[in-house]
Amino acid sequence: MGVIRAEPARVTDWAAKSVGLAWRAFDWQLLVYAALLGAIGLAMAYTNSVEDGKLPLEAGTTFTRGLMWAVIAVVAYVLATAFDYRWLKTLAWPIYAFQLGLLVMTLAIGDGVGGAARWVSVGPFTFQFSELAKVLMIIVLANYLGARQGQLDSIGSILGACVLIVPPLALVMLQPDLGTSLVFGGILVGMLWMSGASLKWLLALGAAVIAMIPLAWTYLLRDYQKARLDSFLNPSPDVQGAGYQLYQAQISVGSGGLLGKGLTNGTPAQSGFLPVQTTDFVFAKLAEELGFLGAMVTFLLFVLLLWRILADGWRSRDAFGTMFAAGLASMILFQLIVNVGMVLGVMPITGIPLPFVTHGGASLVSLAIALGIMQSVNIRQSKAEW
Amino acid sequence: MNTYVDGRVEPSKRLSRFLVFALIAIIGVSGLTARLFYLQVSNGTRYATLSAQNRSVIEAITSPRGVMYDRNGRVLVTNVPTYTVKVRPSDLPQSRRAEVVQRLAALTGVDAADINTSIDSNPGSSFDLVRVADDVDKATALLIAEAGTDLPGVEVVVEARRQYADGPLMSQLLGYTGPISADQLAALRSSGYLPDDLIGKTGLEATYEQELRGTYGSESVERDASGRRLQVLQTISEPQAGDSLQLTIDTRAQKDAEKALKWAMGEVGIKRGTVIAMNPQNGEILAMVSLPTYDNNQFARGISNKEYAKLLANPDKPLINHATQAWYPPGSTYKLVTGTGAIADGKVTATTKVATKGYLTLGATKFYDWNHRGFGPCDIYCGFGHSSDTYFFTLAGKLGIDRLAYWAKQFGFGSPTGIDLPGEVGGIVPSNQWKQDTYGAEIFPGETFQAGIGQGYDVVTPIQLINAYAALANGGTLYEPHLVKDIIGPDGQVVRAIEPTVLHKVNVKASVLKTMRNAARSVVTLRHTYNLVDLPIKIAGKSGTAEFGIKDSQGRLPFHSWFVGFTPGDPYHGSFDKTDSKLVVLAFAYDSRTKSNAGTEIVKYFMQLWYGIKKDYRNQLTIGNHYQSN
Repeated sequence: MGVIRAEPARVTDWAAKSVGLAWRAFDWQLLVYAALLGAIGLAMAYTNSVEDGKLPLEAGTTFTRGLMWAVIAVVAYVLATAFDYRWLKTLAWPIYAFQLGLLVMTLAIGDGVGGAARWVSVGPFTFQFSELAKVLMIIVLANYLGARQGQLDSIGSILGACVLIVPPLALVMLQPDLGTSLVFGGILVGMLWMSGASLKWLLALGAAVIAMIPLAWTYLLRDYQKARLDSFLNPSPDVQGAGYQLYQAQISVGSGGLLGKGLTNGTPAQSGFLPVQTTDFVFAKLAEELGFLGAMVTFLLFVLLLWRILADGWRSRDAFGTMFAAGLASMILFQLIVNVGMVLGVMPITGIPLPFVTHGGASLVSLAIALGIMQSVNIRQSKAEW
Repeated sequence: MNTYVDGRVEPSKRLSRFLVFALIAIIGVSGLTARLFYLQVSNGTRYATLSAQNRSVIEAITSPRGVMYDRNGRVLVTNVPTYTVKVRPSDLPQSRRAEVVQRLAALTGVDAADINTSIDSNPGSSFDLVRVADDVDKATALLIAEAGTDLPGVEVVVEARRQYADGPLMSQLLGYTGPISADQLAALRSSGYLPDDLIGKTGLEATYEQELRGTYGSESVERDASGRRLQVLQTISEPQAGDSLQLTIDTRAQKDAEKALKWAMGEVGIKRGTVIAMNPQNGEILAMVSLPTYDNNQFARGISNKEYAKLLANPDKPLINHATQAWYPPGSTYKLVTGTGAIADGKVTATTKVATKGYLTLGATKFYDWNHRGFGPCDIYCGFGHSSDTYFFTLAGKLGIDRLAYWAKQFGFGSPTGIDLPGEVGGIVPSNQWKQDTYGAEIFPGETFQAGIGQGYDVVTPIQLINAYAALANGGTLYEPHLVKDIIGPDGQVVRAIEPTVLHKVNVKASVLKTMRNAARSVVTLRHTYNLVDLPIKIAGKSGTAEFGIKDSQGRLPFHSWFVGFTPGDPYHGSFDKTDSKLVVLAFAYDSRTKSNAGTEIVKYFMQLWYGIKKDYRNQLTIGNHYQSN
């Protein structure tokens, strides 16, 4: 404690470094895995467009929109990589305010299905700000927890982190968007765990949350959310109602078999078998058409990506970088397990997108920004060490 | 805690926390993998089957449509099994549509453009079947049924289609069934109609749609992902066959009527015509022919757009029933109204002599009699018998337009008769009020003259005209004409007998109508209708020559020929003093151009055929000037 390392990195040091050295610190694997996952997402957009009876490059298809967002994501990635992440620490509080502003704006002018306010439309674009809010939350929490290294065996810092997350969580719940609020929770838990927070207090916190579940059920959840949870716990009796998606998704997945039916050979969306297969249920389509092997490749890419993020976090000499990696890994892992688990019938339906694969510009661009920040952390270490 | 000079905090990394995180990730992904393996590999076959079967839907079982018999029990329409090719648009990928449509067109002979139109104008959703080719032969049906993935979204269905025994002979009456339109579907979906349903489009098929259709049943059916029917799980309700119709039509009378009309039309190239035969005692239609006609079997088989366009483009409108759906000036046949009205209103008596001349002058205008010499002093028998125009100008002048209109309405003119055929029109009975409403002016006296002889604004439908003469023949009762006698249940029992419906009684003393019947007889006996009087049966009636359109270079107008006549109850020895007539016949020849009255010849020929008169009394029809006769 208290010993200043022998090799202090200075801003001026960095400036003097050759660009070549910085690129050596760039995590190419992280980029490649993410790009491959993005390619799988585009393949699913392609197959959905073709099965909708459209030409893949027709304007307005899932595929053309996917391509457009992919280009925007690449630009966002490059910009985030070039941006010195250390400014994020300086700007943490304005970022926090910005995040809340986005969520308030969504509530005020957002559109959505069935009275929900989730998307903000700007011209032809619709953007789900809560996706970006998740990444901004990771930045804010990474700054908070990173700055409190060593104080995390006290309840104060843990509670502080919890308090920070309450306003955005509440705003997301108001939309209402149960899925995204659960992701916020997942990010918080993952980051607290990785920050080294005291186990004792974490357990106490967990117990408190569990104790609050009955209250949440009564006062926070909407009827349709309860129906979804119900149908998850007891899927078969309600095959035509809320359990329908679940049932159809599993049949869709199951029919894919080991090798799948092949791209564009799945059950078309219009047949009505598989609802929202371009969005939260896209994994069902993936499993149907690419089979068990295709799903395994997808899982493998996710595992490799998580490994790289954790490795980058471990390698980081800055607590912010470590915490950011923890948050990002938590978010991706949580969404992966909850989304795929939902499709496979082992998790309730909550409307959480599958990172990279679910078609949604906001999700993809936000991930690109997060991964760019990760790279920014990588290339701005005092020294490459591997 | 270590802090760098630039403010970075050295992370207190705990390997254990990283490892636990990684462990959770591995457990989570492994769990998903296990679940995926269970679904896709262990149970893959089961789910693949489920996926292929996973639609259990409630579907309708069509009911056999009721058939139709003529009055003697002859079958006029039957249901025959037929192969229909249908497309479920949702199962037909857009990228392959052009190719599939081309192949279907080649296989079925249906125009590719028609198939595309059918698919695009599908009244249901893209999930509903659309019929694209009806009445496909068995070999083609099997070929298409077995094509499977080569023709995605295409299905062959065995259906019942209508087969009309006599085709064109009865098309105007029976009508046909055809695919339900989007508008009809919207209105009838709640009554159990399906997007690919057939419905009575016109004729009796349309009027009695409800009776004929029956009640569809329903069953729970399992279908695979491509919509193919796998099995019936449960019959929820049995379909109930539709009721059948026993018509008032006598096929022989219908054939005789068509033969008579076709003969006259062929003689001088008449383009349109109609013949109606009816029982004046109850309004039963024995025969109703409208030419040109069409073949309703063409529609039942699924008419191509090209054939349909051809029918629509025909200037003589074969799809129109000229007996009920079109109106024409009645000409001298309308003198029944003027004569009856004038006597009933006491303007003249049966024996009052009216001076008839070559013309009457009204202001500066001369109103000519068809006979430019006149007939001298005439009573009703002479005036009606010779069809003197100046006689009826005088009577119309005495009556005035509004009383004339009153009597016209008494005889049923000016409003549809209510016959059980769709699309009937009402005609026009001019009156002061009518002219005010239509033209914003009073009737001129000259127009009253014209109205008195069935010209000018007067227009009637052939069914109205025959119904008026039926009322004359039966002593003043105006019945609702009808084509259906009985509605018969699937078990052959009469469910509902169609009783004669009295529209109203003509508000006139029986003696006046007796006078008019005898005046109508004098039309025949005075040889105004040439040799009609020579027939062994007695006929009374009235001819009419109705001018219309635009004058030719010699100042003559084209004209239609009418004749409407009836026989007494005993056609050989009966008397027109009685009201026991069983037969009224009307013939109408559009733009006939004949020297003698074509309508009279048509009715005469029909009577010869119907009563089996061996000797042929027909006169040759020649093109000429109608001013020879009226």
